[in-house]
Amino acid sequence: MSLFCCGHGAHHPITCIVPPYMLRVLALRGDPRTAEMARTLLKQTERLRDERAELMEAGLPPAQPLGTTAVAPVQDLCCPDRRIHDGQHKAALPGKLVRSEGDGPTGIPDADTAYEAAGQVFSLFAEEYGRNSLDGQGMPLVATVHHRRDYNNSFWNGTQMAYGTGDGKIFRTFLELSVIGHEMAHGVIQHSGGLIYENQSGALNESIADVFGSLSLQRALGQEVHQADWLVGRGILGPGINGAALRSMKAPGTAYSDDLLGQDPQPWHMDHFVTTTDDNGGVHINSGIPNHAFYLFCAYLGGRAWELPGRVWYRALQTLNNPMASFADWADQTMDAAIELTGRGSYETIMLRRAWKLVGIAI
Amino acid sequence: MIIDIAAQGGFGGISAAQMRKTIDVEDQPEQMRQELCDAFEPDELARLARQPCGDCADRMTYLITVTENSETHRFTLREAQIPPEMLDLIDQM
Repeated sequence: MSLFCCGHGAHHPITCIVPPYMLRVLALRGDPRTAEMARTLLKQTERLRDERAELMEAGLPPAQPLGTTAVAPVQDLCCPDRRIHDGQHKAALPGKLVRSEGDGPTGIPDADTAYEAAGQVFSLFAEEYGRNSLDGQGMPLVATVHHRRDYNNSFWNGTQMAYGTGDGKIFRTFLELSVIGHEMAHGVIQHSGGLIYENQSGALNESIADVFGSLSLQRALGQEVHQADWLVGRGILGPGINGAALRSMKAPGTAYSDDLLGQDPQPWHMDHFVTTTDDNGGVHINSGIPNHAFYLFCAYLGGRAWELPGRVWYRALQTLNNPMASFADWADQTMDAAIELTGRGSYETIMLRRAWKLVGIAI
Repeated sequence: MIIDIAAQGGFGGISAAQMRKTIDVEDQPEQMRQELCDAFEPDELARLARQPCGDCADRMTYLITVTENSETHRFTLREAQIPPEMLDLIDQM
């Protein structure tokens, strides 16, 4: 059960535990100190409700219902410190600060989406995995929207996120929760020992970013494994592009098929591993293999992917300690994490082994 | 001076979607011409290519070819190695 929340203003541990109807009773019947506290918490609850209404209007899913966390949070883990900047279509970072933590909406759609989504991603790592921000130490979540002109990209630069607008033809936006979760996950990976950004370790870096990007979206939508579309970057391709998304974890290689872009090149099995010098050794291509293994593991288990499967992947990332890890190294690490969390010979470990085997990696 | 720039990488990793620009500096207005000559001077590009890259997750790689007086110079620069002013110049080209 959650003991904290990520809305505006001060944090109070009772906020997420006590339902509003009980707070109303306390406000009426409690002693003066309790009644005052209850009134303050009711106001916070109303602000959260307003914030969710804003999210829905902006096309973003509401936050996970309070009080449904899987892992007890660490002490002193509370709230994000979001700082959203407007790059004003220039390359210099971070640009003009337009929204800080606790500020109301700016009216700049990209900035407000970046702010709300950063809160969703923070919430995933904090409430489910007990991690305080990207570095585990509460670092500010700095992001720049409107980065460069017609820029078909988003990235993590080691200290912050940056999002282009797209050129309107190939990409129409990068402000989508799975993309934002992906970029922020690069920060988590960097602060968890890192994975060298080339060849198999680079593809693992990409895959783990996709996993936590997808989990951010699924959790925000409250979707179980079989309800989710498992797409990364749904709706970000341009209006004339024949494709649903940038990548599919459920069916790598099927996200798009277009005259201009060609066919989605992602493999789902080691037999189709792509050897190339482009794209840092195909880091965005071969990530399809570990992506699909994660999807299969989740599909075998059912339920909420951000819970046990997400915890296994997160635990493996924290204990990997090998920046040059291969796919096989990573598969072994996830098995160690699964054994640690569920016990040797558990149903979960059997399903995990099956998932890796199905993509051509024996553990 | 002819400058050819081809980009690859990025979050999408879609090679067909990458930017490619070729520009004849002599055809540009005076101010732009001077800025381009300064920014894409081969010694300057070589210096940038030696800079540390830092974290390159999802960042673009630029393959830059400069042809001048029948001499061709090729450089591979990571986005993080290129100063913001030069990136703005590339976006304007």
